[in-house]
Amino acid sequence: MSEARFDDLIHAPVRLRICGVLRQVEQMDFAVLRNTLDVSDATLSKHLKTLAEAGYVSLSKAASDSRSDARRLTWITLTAAGRKTFDGHLRALQEIAGDPNPFSPG
Amino acid sequence: MENDFERRPSSEEAAASLRGLAADRKALADGVHVPKTLLAALGGVAAWWVAGAAVADPGENYETPTSGWLALVAALVTFHLIRRETGISFRGMGLRGGLVTAGIIVLCLILFSISLGLVSFGARWAVVLTSLSAFGLVTWLAGIAFRSALDQLRR
Repeated sequence: MSEARFDDLIHAPVRLRICGVLRQVEQMDFAVLRNTLDVSDATLSKHLKTLAEAGYVSLSKAASDSRSDARRLTWITLTAAGRKTFDGHLRALQEIAGDPNPFSPG
Repeated sequence: MENDFERRPSSEEAAASLRGLAADRKALADGVHVPKTLLAALGGVAAWWVAGAAVADPGENYETPTSGWLALVAALVTFHLIRRETGISFRGMGLRGGLVTAGIIVLCLILFSISLGLVSFGARWAVVLTSLSAFGLVTWLAGIAFRSALDQLRR
């Protein structure tokens, strides 16, 4: 169990939502994450870049048969450091909210 | 433009953030398209494997059909295609999904054994029935396992 630790970088609303969704999966395609959060490509890219620079997410490219051009699928993963930081931040939020377990990180 | 928070949220703000995370998880699970064709493809792989019993030679000279390895490869390719189609690599399927997956394997082994028995009694034609059963049951069970994985996303 992670120690409660508030993280300013993750707490920015879109970044918190990104980490919250990624925490539930092993990997996720960029387009699925964008549609789930209902944000623009540019907004998602900007926040993913910030999270990637902090070492919280990693991005990998894969070829796509459905695309005739050179574009590729982008798979996004919450790294081990990202999971640990997010879990700690979540516990901090739960402590602040006074709610012991509204969200159980897997 | 979104600014980074540099102060701790109030209890109401923290609770709202947690509710937002729960809503996102639900939206994620609700937004996933169930790949019915690919789940049926898994049923097809199972049916093909069970049908392999029809060309086997049960008895002392029995040799394990190589179609088992090909079916395994076909199943792995189908799992990869499901990942590509949904855009999600699941972390797990939960207890129910795990039990159903184990059930699929046991079911296929039972149907294959029944098929071998039918062949040994000269009822080679009856393997069509076990093969069709494998298709229907594995497609159905694969759907349950997939939905169990979606339920895991909501938790």
